[in-house]
Amino acid sequence: MTSANDTARMGGLPHWEPADVLGKMTLSDLLFSLDYRHIAIKGILTSIVMLGLGGLMAMLFRTELAVPDIQFFDARPYMSLMTLHGMLMVFGFVIPFVVNLMYYMMPKVLGTDRLIFARGAQWSYWLLIAAALLLVISRPDFTWTFYPPMSLRVGGELIWMGYLAIVLVAISEFLAGCVVIANGWSAAKRIGWSKLPLMGWAAISEGLLLTISTPALAFVGGALMTDWLGTTALFDPARGGDIPTFMFLFWFYGHPAVYLPLMPAIAVLYTLMPRFLGRPIWSYWSGVTAFAILTVLSFVVYPHHFQPANTVSGLLERTTQILTMLIFIPSTLHVFNWIATLWYDDIPISAKRAIPFKFIIAAIFFLILGGVTAYLNAQIAVNADFVHNTYFVPAHFHAMFVGFMGNMAMAGVYYLYPYFTGRMFSQRMGNLHFWLWQVGILGKVMMMYYLGFVYFPRWVVDYLPLPQWAIPQLMLTGAAYLIGLGFIVFVFNIMWSSTRGRTVQGDPWPVEMADTPATAAAPAE
Amino acid sequence: MENALGLTGYQATMMTIVFALGILGIGGLLMAIFWPKRWKMKYRMEIGFVVLLAVLVWYADRKSTEVYSAYQADLNESGELSVDGYEAAGEFDRTLRVIAFQWGFAFLTEEDEISRNAAVVQPGERVLFEIISNDVIHGFNIPAVGITTEFGPGENRQVWIRAPKEPGKYLIQCLNYCGVGHAQMKAWLVVEGPEEGGEV
Repeated sequence: MTSANDTARMGGLPHWEPADVLGKMTLSDLLFSLDYRHIAIKGILTSIVMLGLGGLMAMLFRTELAVPDIQFFDARPYMSLMTLHGMLMVFGFVIPFVVNLMYYMMPKVLGTDRLIFARGAQWSYWLLIAAALLLVISRPDFTWTFYPPMSLRVGGELIWMGYLAIVLVAISEFLAGCVVIANGWSAAKRIGWSKLPLMGWAAISEGLLLTISTPALAFVGGALMTDWLGTTALFDPARGGDIPTFMFLFWFYGHPAVYLPLMPAIAVLYTLMPRFLGRPIWSYWSGVTAFAILTVLSFVVYPHHFQPANTVSGLLERTTQILTMLIFIPSTLHVFNWIATLWYDDIPISAKRAIPFKFIIAAIFFLILGGVTAYLNAQIAVNADFVHNTYFVPAHFHAMFVGFMGNMAMAGVYYLYPYFTGRMFSQRMGNLHFWLWQVGILGKVMMMYYLGFVYFPRWVVDYLPLPQWAIPQLMLTGAAYLIGLGFIVFVFNIMWSSTRGRTVQGDPWPVEMADTPATAAAPAE
Repeated sequence: MENALGLTGYQATMMTIVFALGILGIGGLLMAIFWPKRWKMKYRMEIGFVVLLAVLVWYADRKSTEVYSAYQADLNESGELSVDGYEAAGEFDRTLRVIAFQWGFAFLTEEDEISRNAAVVQPGERVLFEIISNDVIHGFNIPAVGITTEFGPGENRQVWIRAPKEPGKYLIQCLNYCGVGHAQMKAWLVVEGPEEGGEV
C-alpha cells in the first residue's frame, strides 16, 4: 500500500556521523550549550539516573511487599518511597526520556538541523532538575495524585516544597511543549501538511497536550501549596473548599499525562521501524489519523479516573464510558499500521539482530497487552467491581509505561548510542538486558492483572496473608528484581562500551537482507 | 457467591473478548515477524477491523449500562438515592449506615447500635449500606460480592449487596489512598450462622 509519496513522508534519515559527542562535551556544554544533541544527551542521561533512582525505590518497596506483614518500612517511609517512585518515573524518567529522544531526532527527521526554541528546552531541563531536588527533599507521602484533603493533612514541614515542585514540573513540561510544537509547526509550514513526517505530527500532538494540560497542573499545585499554608482553602472541604473541582482540574492534566510519553514513543517507533526495515511505513494517513483522534480523545475521557465518585454519573458517566472505549480505535490504527509494515515485505536480517529493533517489537507486544484491557477498565460495571483502585490499574499502566514507553526509550537510546559515543555497545549485554526486561515486565504485569482481579488494593504497605495475594506478590517482587538486574546490565553496558566498545564509522545500522550484503559501510573494526 | 452487580456472565463475555483481541494482536505481531509468508494488507482490512471495534464498543456500552442501570434501579425503586432516604429503606432486609474515617469503618444499625469494623448480617440478606466520610476521600470495597465505591466528605453514597449465603467473615476494605493508615483500613462483613468460616 505504500507509494513514492510515503517514502518522502518518512522525513530525513536520523543519521549523523558517529563521533564521541558525549566524551567531548565540556562542563560548559553540559550546563549551557544550546546544541540540540548536547541538550538531548543531557536529558537522556538524566532520565536514566531518574530511572535508576525510581527503580531503586521500587526495589525497596517491592522487597517490603514480597511477603505479608511489615518487614523493613513503616507506612510513612513506604508511602514516601511509593510517591517518589511514581513521580520520578513519570515526571523524571518516562516523559523527559522520550521527549529528549524527539529533541535528538527531530532536527534530522524534520530537516531543520537545529532545535527551534532550544533555549526553552534548556530551561525545561533545569526546572525539572530543581523540581526533582525539591521533591526528594520534601519526601511527599501522598501518592502522585495527591488528592485533597488527605494531601493537606500529611507530610512534614517541608511538604510545601513538594507542591512547589509540582508547579515547576508543570512549567518545565509547558516549555517542552512549546519546543516540540514550534518544531512540528515550523516543519509543517515549510514542508506542507500532507508531507509532514509522522514525527512532525507527533510533535504537534505532543505540543498541544503539554501546553493545554499543564496549566491545570500548575494551578492545582499552587493552590494546594497555598491551601496547605492556610492562605486559601480552595480544595479543603473543612474550610469551604471543593474536592470535585480539584478532581476535574487535576485529571484534565492527569489523563493527558498518560499520553505525554506515548506520543513521542510512537513517533520514535514510526521513525526507527522504517530505518531498520529499509522501507516506509504501511500507511502514512492511518498514522496521521490516529495521532489526531488520540489527541482529541485524551482531553475528554479523564473523568473515568474517578468514575465511582458521585460527580461522575448520568450522561457524563455514560459518555465517558463510550469515549474511553473509543480510544481503542486510534490505538489499533497505530498497531495495525506497524504489523502491516512488518508483514508486507521481508524483515532484514540486520533488523532481527539489532537490539533497538528487538525493543521495538517488545514495545508493540506490551502496547497490545496493556491496551486490550482498557476495554474492560472503561466499562462502568466492571470498574465498579474489580478495576477501580485495585492492582488492575497499575497492571494496565505498567504495561504501557514500562512495557511500551520504557522499551521504546531503550530502543531509542540503543539506536543513538553509536552516534553520540562513536562506539557500539556490547551485543551480548544488550541481549541480556533485553531478555531480563521482557521476562521481568511480563511477569510483573501479569501478576498485577491477577492481583487486581482478586481485589488487591493499591497503596498498601501491608496485606492479609491470603494465598491469592501472597504468592503473586512474591512472584511480582521476583519479576521486579529481574527488571532491576536488567537495568544494571544496561548501565554497565553503556559505561563499559563507551571506552571499550568497537568504534563505528559510517552507518551503524546498515540494512542487510539475508541474501544481500550490507547497503552501507561496515564498521571500521 | 453472588456478585452485587450481577455481572458474572457479562464479565466473562467481556474478558473473553479481551482475551481474543489480545491473542489476535499478539498473534498477528508474531506472525508478521516469524511466518515466512509475506502479506500486503489492504486498507479495507483496516477499515473492517475498525468497524469490528466500533461494534464491540457499542456492545460493551449497552451491556455495561444495562447491568449498572439495573443495579441502580434497585436503589431507585426503594427511594434510596436521595440523601435522606434512610427512613425509606423498606425494600432491603437491613440498612447499615457506614461512617468511614481515618482509618476504619463504623457501622450503625437501624436500632442505633454501633459496631466498629464489623457489619453483622444474616445469610442471603439484601443489605443497603449508606456511606459517608467524615474526613478525606475513602473507598468501600467488598471483594466477596464485587462492589466498589468512592466518596469524599459531605457525600452520601449508597450501595447494596446480597449477603453471601455461607456464614463467615468477609473482607471490607478502603480502596482509595487516605493517608498512612490506609493499609489498616479494613472491616469485616460478618455473616452470622451456626458456624462462621474464615473465608475472605
